[in-house]
Amino acid sequence: MHHHFIDRFAMGDSPIHRLDARAKLLAVLTYTVVLISFNRYAVSDLVPMTVLPLTLLWFGRVPVWFALRRVLILSPFILMLLLMSPFYDRIPHDATFGSWRFTISGGWLTAMDIAMKFALGVLALTAMMCTTPFALLLEAMRRLGMPQMIVMQLGFLYRYIFVLIDEAMRVRRARDFRGAALAPIGRRLAAVGGVIGTLFSRTLDRSERVQLAMAARGYQGEPRSLSQLRFTGADAVFLVLVIVYLLACRWAYPRWF
Amino acid sequence: MTTLILPPLAMHMANELLSVPIAGLTLAVAAILVLIAARRARRATTDDRLPLMGVMGAFIFAAQMINFTLPGMPGTSGHLGGGVLLAILLGPTAGIVTMAAILMVQCLLFQDGGLLALGCNVINMGVIPCLLGWGLYRLVLGPVAKAAAWRQYLAAWLACVVGVTAGAAMVPVEAAVSGVLQVPFRHFLGVMIGVHLVIGLCEGAITFAVIAYLRRVRPELLGLAADDAPVAGRGPGYGVVMASLLGTALLLAGVVSWFASTLPDGLEWSYSQHRYGAVEKAVQNKSPVVLAVDQWQTRWSPMTDYNRRGAPLGELPAAEPNEPESAWPNASGWRSVAGVLGTIITLGILYGLSWWMRKKAV
Repeated sequence: MHHHFIDRFAMGDSPIHRLDARAKLLAVLTYTVVLISFNRYAVSDLVPMTVLPLTLLWFGRVPVWFALRRVLILSPFILMLLLMSPFYDRIPHDATFGSWRFTISGGWLTAMDIAMKFALGVLALTAMMCTTPFALLLEAMRRLGMPQMIVMQLGFLYRYIFVLIDEAMRVRRARDFRGAALAPIGRRLAAVGGVIGTLFSRTLDRSERVQLAMAARGYQGEPRSLSQLRFTGADAVFLVLVIVYLLACRWAYPRWF
Repeated sequence: MTTLILPPLAMHMANELLSVPIAGLTLAVAAILVLIAARRARRATTDDRLPLMGVMGAFIFAAQMINFTLPGMPGTSGHLGGGVLLAILLGPTAGIVTMAAILMVQCLLFQDGGLLALGCNVINMGVIPCLLGWGLYRLVLGPVAKAAAWRQYLAAWLACVVGVTAGAAMVPVEAAVSGVLQVPFRHFLGVMIGVHLVIGLCEGAITFAVIAYLRRVRPELLGLAADDAPVAGRGPGYGVVMASLLGTALLLAGVVSWFASTLPDGLEWSYSQHRYGAVEKAVQNKSPVVLAVDQWQTRWSPMTDYNRRGAPLGELPAAEPNEPESAWPNASGWRSVAGVLGTIITLGILYGLSWWMRKKAV
């Protein structure tokens, strides 16, 4: 596994990629707040909310199927919850769509609402992550006031995640080749403990080596970044557009239609 | 073989389980707690260990790859969640900071757990398991430097079961306070605790195995050789342990039991809240639960885009000001059609525009 696995589209170039990471972060945050503030029966009010994530994906040249697949992968837990709700709320509601009238129970309305909010939230987040390199996002968080300490840990985590996952996968394969699945439970547990324990002590040593390497390259307590974030007019226009759009979705659309 | 990976799926909260005020509140609380932990961790671990927590976060991701096939449940395998192990090995503050970093990366890069639910997730999977687990571990362990093996194993196991389950018990509480879920609080709590007892046992088993290995190979990491213990040895005194443990336990017990008693479940609660409303007379033919839900939603929904069946709408004074006034008898239906059509047209235009721009760029 490599960073390609998650960062596949983030290194590309498009109007959305060129936007400032801060603008995108703020836009997606506001979008999510507005999204979950909708009433849980107001399924049809959510329809215009699909515009923003899809637009970001299209203009960012991210295949929509890629984002939709992420939604599917993540859905099991939320699926369990939303399939439970029809059992608890069986009050029928009359719903109308055009001249077509039908009856639907409140539980199904809630289930549809949760499913839509979940899908839209994941789509928006995916759109942001697929158009922003993680390093720039970290820089954006730092400039928006996230403490240096946390931002640095996130950076290290991102840097070493696949290094260590690859290591773990190698060890796991070695264990499985040696027939670990056939061993009695106690042995298997001991094997897991040994593998993770070894990984842990190796990681401890690795973090020391990283620290030494940083010191050797002149690190003095403040990381320097070459990435430049410039909040331009285009970013301001983007943010204003998003806010107007969200206001329209949340208040104007349900009132005036 | 289909493997069911239990812990991450069952505990990451999604945005949809929270209301905006609760999301904001938990985000603020989590941010403050993580900041305090970060400051303390920075003081405890000197500058030469700065990459430690980040790299340890990556270690947890890697350790989650090492699966352990559960006995008696073929096809199901558990793996480490990691919070309690981190707290035991690195101390609670470093554990909290690492877990927060892990959860943020899971949320941003893998979209696992909602952006606004991050506060809840940090509290449920970071703060509570680390504090409670570590406190319990230290309590059972007694003096660290010469702890007996059985005591250490028991402590690790207990810490995992209690830490994980307590964190999971917070999920229904947060959802119930938000008033989003329709699943009754008690059922949800029961399911979460039941499932997470199993997960906690599994996590405990793995943590136990790791501790057993480290005890044999690198005992200094567990603080066993007191003088040159690099990480875990620098533990605070017994009083701090007791205080943190008691604090977390009381908070948890208080919150959960308060809800279990005063908020038997969401529906009953809303029913008892509104049973003396004027609306009761209007809909006498309905069961009390139905009535309660009806009232509850008219109170809390600013716009209702469906019509209540059977209920004489004219007699519900609470609903009046909120209903969109319209001369069109079937306004809500046509409204939704208009919304869907408008959205499709807008999306079509935007798609065309993006397609055109892409062609121009090539």
